[in-house]
Amino acid sequence: MLNVIFLTLITSFAAMILLNAAPRVKNSQSTIRTTALWLANEKFAYLESAAAVDNIAPTNSTSTKNFDDKDYQIKTEVDGANPYKVTVKVGWTVDGKNFEIESERTIWVAKENS
Amino acid sequence: MQKKIRSGGFVFVEFAIALPLLILLLCGLGKVSIEIFRLGRDQLADYVLESEAQYVMEKITQEARAARIIEVDNTLHKIKIIYHAVDDNNELLEFNGGSEDVYYLFSDKDIWETRFFFHLKNKEAVKLYAKRNDDGRYNTPTTGENSFGETQITSLTYALDEEKKILHIELEMESLETRHKIKIATAVFVPGLENNL
Repeated sequence: MLNVIFLTLITSFAAMILLNAAPRVKNSQSTIRTTALWLANEKFAYLESAAAVDNIAPTNSTSTKNFDDKDYQIKTEVDGANPYKVTVKVGWTVDGKNFEIESERTIWVAKENS
Repeated sequence: MQKKIRSGGFVFVEFAIALPLLILLLCGLGKVSIEIFRLGRDQLADYVLESEAQYVMEKITQEARAARIIEVDNTLHKIKIIYHAVDDNNELLEFNGGSEDVYYLFSDKDIWETRFFFHLKNKEAVKLYAKRNDDGRYNTPTTGENSFGETQITSLTYALDEEKKILHIELEMESLETRHKIKIATAVFVPGLENNL
């Protein structure tokens, strides 16, 4: 009887541990990903600002204002001309493994007719 | 024939072995369960931290995006944004287009809202306050006070590049529950910025 009770308890605890760990395993780097996503937004802001003065160009500059290239590797691609299709890729490394997010935005500069 | 004194029952030696084993097992189970609840609490607190940091960034970038005037004061940890907004007191205008169809029009008045974001209380960065005027009152913050984990802003700085019309925002938040920190930095392009008005 006691055996049955203990076995049930141990099994249920094991199940709880696994259930608890599952979301962490699936999305183990949610904080890093959030930071990377906002970093991509920072790059989009630069590109939008450049597009507004007709000076948009793909830059492989990895520097950002707040993080250096040791933390994140950033690549940008620019396709087309007004509207521009802009792709920003932000990569990072954890325990020797590489991770990357890719974010796209269309930039269309509206101009007044003079 | 020798008489058997005891054939069954629980002798002291058995009890002395079984009881510590039982206690050990229960202690182990207790420890595991405490750890599970601690992990669950930490995880919730981390989710709260992350979502609040995202909320702060979204709130500021959204309003800065539509801004006409931005005034940054990093010594007082304050930003003033005057931005274009939809008229709150919008009256639904009924418009008959000449036929039986009835169109409803919203007024498209140019409304400029003023918003102050600040996060300083007793010279310490705590929670984000979003106010229409800077009256120095510290009530109803927009972050913190979540029952799953209290958070505080450890640093929130702005830098305005007027030439490129870019506002840089850098945020660091901490969970008071787990002492974990999150750092987010971004920039927002402000197309309608006219600081020289």
